[in-house]
Amino acid sequence: MIRFENVTKIYDPNIVGLQDVNVHIGRGDFAFLVGHSGSGKSTFIRLLLKEFEPSRGSITVAGRNLQRMRRGALPHHRRNIGCVFQDFKLLPNRTVAENVAYALRVTGQPARAIRRKVPEILQLVGLGEKMSNLPDELSAGEQQRVSVARAFVNHPSLLVADEPTGNLDPDTSVGIMQLLYRINRTGTTVLMATHDREMVDKMRKRVIALEGGKVIRDEDKGLYR
Amino acid sequence: MRFRFFLGEALDSLTRNWVMSVAAIVTVLVSMFVLGIGAFVFFNLQNATSGVRNKLEIEVFIKNTASQDQVNQLGDQIKGMPEVKSMDFVSKDEALQRLRDSMKGHEDVLAALSGNPLPASFEIFLKDTNQTNLVASRFYNNQTVDNSPVADSADNPITLAGDLSDGATNMTVTAGGGAQFAKDMYFHIDNEVMRVTDNPNGDTMNIARAQAGTKAEAHSKGAEIYGEDGVKTGGNTTARVNAVANYTLIGGSGFVILLAVASVLLISNTIRLSIFARRREVEIMRLVGATNWFIRWPFVMEGVFTGLLGATAAVILVIIVQNSIIDVISSQLSFLGAEAVPTGWLLLSIIGGGILLGSVGSALALRRFLKI
Repeated sequence: MIRFENVTKIYDPNIVGLQDVNVHIGRGDFAFLVGHSGSGKSTFIRLLLKEFEPSRGSITVAGRNLQRMRRGALPHHRRNIGCVFQDFKLLPNRTVAENVAYALRVTGQPARAIRRKVPEILQLVGLGEKMSNLPDELSAGEQQRVSVARAFVNHPSLLVADEPTGNLDPDTSVGIMQLLYRINRTGTTVLMATHDREMVDKMRKRVIALEGGKVIRDEDKGLYR
Repeated sequence: MRFRFFLGEALDSLTRNWVMSVAAIVTVLVSMFVLGIGAFVFFNLQNATSGVRNKLEIEVFIKNTASQDQVNQLGDQIKGMPEVKSMDFVSKDEALQRLRDSMKGHEDVLAALSGNPLPASFEIFLKDTNQTNLVASRFYNNQTVDNSPVADSADNPITLAGDLSDGATNMTVTAGGGAQFAKDMYFHIDNEVMRVTDNPNGDTMNIARAQAGTKAEAHSKGAEIYGEDGVKTGGNTTARVNAVANYTLIGGSGFVILLAVASVLLISNTIRLSIFARRREVEIMRLVGATNWFIRWPFVMEGVFTGLLGATAAVILVIIVQNSIIDVISSQLSFLGAEAVPTGWLLLSIIGGGILLGSVGSALALRRFLKI
């Protein structure tokens, strides 16, 4: 699903983001990306989304080489990746339902499909009652659920989460974690960057540890350490 | 469905970010208003000067002693001149009638006149007022000699193919520098008055020594038909009006262009500010996989509305100001013949310009957030 081959990213001026990273994550896998702040987790995820190009090496997502992708294909690439962020990245002026609907609209789905799918997915994440609230009126945990719902409503083959529990208390984090787990069970590949030790240790999934832009450990059923 | 979605988005964000919307609308309003007033003043000045220009004419007064044949011949000659747009013959009676019309209420003055002292005349309208002197020169020999674009000028050297001193009356003359010759034009070489006998072909023509040998004689010869002060042109007025008109055109268009550039900068800056405030939104849209046009359309439509609202308000203001100014002008300076000149299309183009500025400004301001 994701293949990084000798990927190096150097930011100007001479700051190493990633160095010689080789990672392969298979379809349907669940993987944690762990490491301190500045270890390269966010660089990894932003490269996946093609927010910028690697300095060297090649990245393949869902069988498509990102370096050879035309600019026009970029939106389609991103529609195939559901994204969840630490700061939720919800559109502040739109209701919960509209935020989720936006992800469907950009793909050109008909209004009827949108009216059907949005309540369905919000029910799934437990926010059926809050559809017409604005993000501000929700708790942090609820906002992150909206964000997960938006990421998953298109049923992407890959879901990427960048510290999704970073702003949440432990109990709420468990709820989000469970959601991601359930999404993974439907066959969606999930890659989650985190430094939530407890969560990683509890899940016993694949752990890819980064430090100073290098992969220092990559093990199945790993621990945070 | 998409169109309705985009339209909804545009109207939504217009009302949601109403502070920014108002700022942008007011910016459009102010710049389009200033631009509109500038253009209005410019066009009216332009109109006023060209109005005066159109009134400029050459009047050829005819001596009472001229025979009907001579008058007819002169009329045919004038009609044949390529620079002449139209020509009127004003008989003595008509001239008197005009005088009466213009002096209504003072009939007692006219009553003192015995007979009709006014001469008949030809009124000549030209296609291009810049040619007044050239045409007038054909009637008023003195002017030919003094103002001729041809004579002895360093810019327009004249070459003669032959020698005048051997008594020839016809020879070929070549003038350089784009000098304008025309049939029956008089000019002089070394105090000899010459007449162009053949229509110029390029700048080569045949000339004949006019029967009168000197300038003074030539003048008096013309005077037999045209009268001593036989030809009246706008004279200095022509030159002055032409100069004013040209300055207005250059200065005015420079001013209007400057205003337009300032408006574009001001408006695009305001729009950039309002979009900058929403750059996070744009970033999120991109992350969710929206294409650039999917993001752009609502912004462009919002720009259209901003431009439409601002420009419409500006137009209303311009109309109000225009009407009050016109009132003042027409009561105080009626001779300028002030009319609200290009109202319709000027106002429409202000609105069109506002819409264009708003939409293109939005699209351009978005550009840097749509990279990545």
